[in-house]
Amino acid sequence: MSATAKGLALVPEPAGHADGPRASAVRPVLSFEQVGFDYDGRAIMRDVSFAIAPGELVAVLGPSGCGKTTILNMVAGFLKPTAGAALIGGREIAGPGPDRGVVFQAAALFDWMTVADNIAFSLRCAGRPKAEQRQVASEMAALVGLSGVEGLYPYQLSGGMRQRVGLARVLAAKPKVMLMDEPFSALDVQTREVLQEEVLRIKERTGCTILFVTHSIDEAVFLGDRIFLLNDLKEGRFEEFRVDLPAPRANGENRLHPAFIRLREAIYRQMRH
Amino acid sequence: MTSSDRRARRQYWAVAILSPLAIFLLWVFVTAQGAVPAIILPSPAAVATSFLDMVQRGYSGVALATHVGASLWRVGVAFLIGAALGVAVGLLRGRIPVIDAIFLVPSEIVRPIPPLGLIPLFILWFGIGELSKILLIFIAVFLIMMVNAQAGARSCAVDSLRAAQSMGAGRWQIFRFVVLPSALPQIMTGLRIAMGTALTILVASELLGGDRGLGFLILDASSFFRTTYVFAGIILIGLIGLISDRGIAYLSRRIVHWEGRR
Ligand SMILES: Nc1ncnc2c1ncn2[C@@H]1O[C@H](COP(=O)(O)OP(=O)(O)OP(=O)(O)O)[C@@H](O)[C@H]1O
Ligand SMILES: [Mg+2]
Repeated sequence: MSATAKGLALVPEPAGHADGPRASAVRPVLSFEQVGFDYDGRAIMRDVSFAIAPGELVAVLGPSGCGKTTILNMVAGFLKPTAGAALIGGREIAGPGPDRGVVFQAAALFDWMTVADNIAFSLRCAGRPKAEQRQVASEMAALVGLSGVEGLYPYQLSGGMRQRVGLARVLAAKPKVMLMDEPFSALDVQTREVLQEEVLRIKERTGCTILFVTHSIDEAVFLGDRIFLLNDLKEGRFEEFRVDLPAPRANGENRLHPAFIRLREAIYRQMRH
Repeated sequence: MTSSDRRARRQYWAVAILSPLAIFLLWVFVTAQGAVPAIILPSPAAVATSFLDMVQRGYSGVALATHVGASLWRVGVAFLIGAALGVAVGLLRGRIPVIDAIFLVPSEIVRPIPPLGLIPLFILWFGIGELSKILLIFIAVFLIMMVNAQAGARSCAVDSLRAAQSMGAGRWQIFRFVVLPSALPQIMTGLRIAMGTALTILVASELLGGDRGLGFLILDASSFFRTTYVFAGIILIGLIGLISDRGIAYLSRRIVHWEGRR
């Protein structure tokens, strides 16, 4: 049970590599091939490559402004790489779609819709019948612990409840991939930890692949199967850490596990140097 | 609502009712002194008498209700069509650059022209009938609503648009479920401004001739120095303005219930 820190993880490793199923052993859901991106001629990243396996949760750490949101936006289809290719299921990402759900930092709920209508939005867009919308809304509300507030409006909810709605509406669309951009950073510690465990339970239940951006090393270690530490994206390099914590992962006690503490320290040193 | 909220509300309404009452009493007081000639500022009683006279016998051979109805119809038709088209064009301009480009120069050239300046042209083009009057009000309402709806559409949060896209919303659905609701607060404010302007222009448009309407009544009475009738007409228009404004404000609180509560 050891946390391994290794530098310069780039292209997916060759299949059949050392210990256990790797990202590359199965066909990746999500991959970057030598992706470059610039904003108005200013290079943000170049030659970035990685592959993420189905059902994997990759936590993305890195200093402010290093390009975490930019990566998420390219996966979501909001931005297009200026070089290389971003692929979902082997096909180039052409634009936003319901196969990739996004949980925003500020929830970005629709204030003019009730919680139920927010959650069922993807079904409404797909033209599903009203009864089905209502049923899925209450199922998803229950899944994220929001039963009973389906009729309220977002402004009547607390910050933690709003993030749960943001999570539930993405789950209702049954995405292959969930993209989460510091979704819990504005919440208090207790709420954040509860929601982190929620995310792990949901991941287990749905088999969803998750890309989770965070500023918190603890959050990254607690949630991630792997952690990308983006410290040199302009040169196409980033550190990769594999997390090795006992299953079931949705267990708060893992925060006290020696492997947790060791990995946290390793990442901390890496970030400081 | 807490009890201190309730007290604050009571105070608010007490002041809102006392303030016009004070103006009314001042009016009674000034005219009772006889300091001002009645032709310049008639007493409330004289205005009330003229009002009752109009209720019973009409004005210049036309029933008062007909005058009011004619004005309401002109404002109503112009307002509804102007607001609907203005909102539609404004929202499209706010989201689609080509449409914005099409309307940019023409609408910015027309916008600064005072409606009164258009009257001679409208008489030439559309005559002095209903069409000219309604078009004059329509243009003012349309332009106000277009500007407000456009600004509202532009204020739509990027994250809301992205969230909708990544939940599979198509162009029309994004428009209907995200852009329009985001713009609603500003549209409702626009409606209040447009209604005030529409009533102002109503009076001007009834300069165009014709023999009915509150604007006609006021202008006709003033040219014969029947100041009490002028006052009665002005107060009627003012009341219509007050009621319609309160109505729109009430609707907007119900429709845009989320505003200011995020
Ligand atoms: N719309 C934009 N136009 C121009 N430059 C941008 C834009 N958005 C981001 N950038 C630049 O791109 C770089 C990466 O931004 P990004 O938002 O991906 O950072 P981040 O890693 O998510 O940071 P944070 O942790 O602060 O959220 C930053 O240097 C930023 O200045
Ligand atoms: Mg960011």
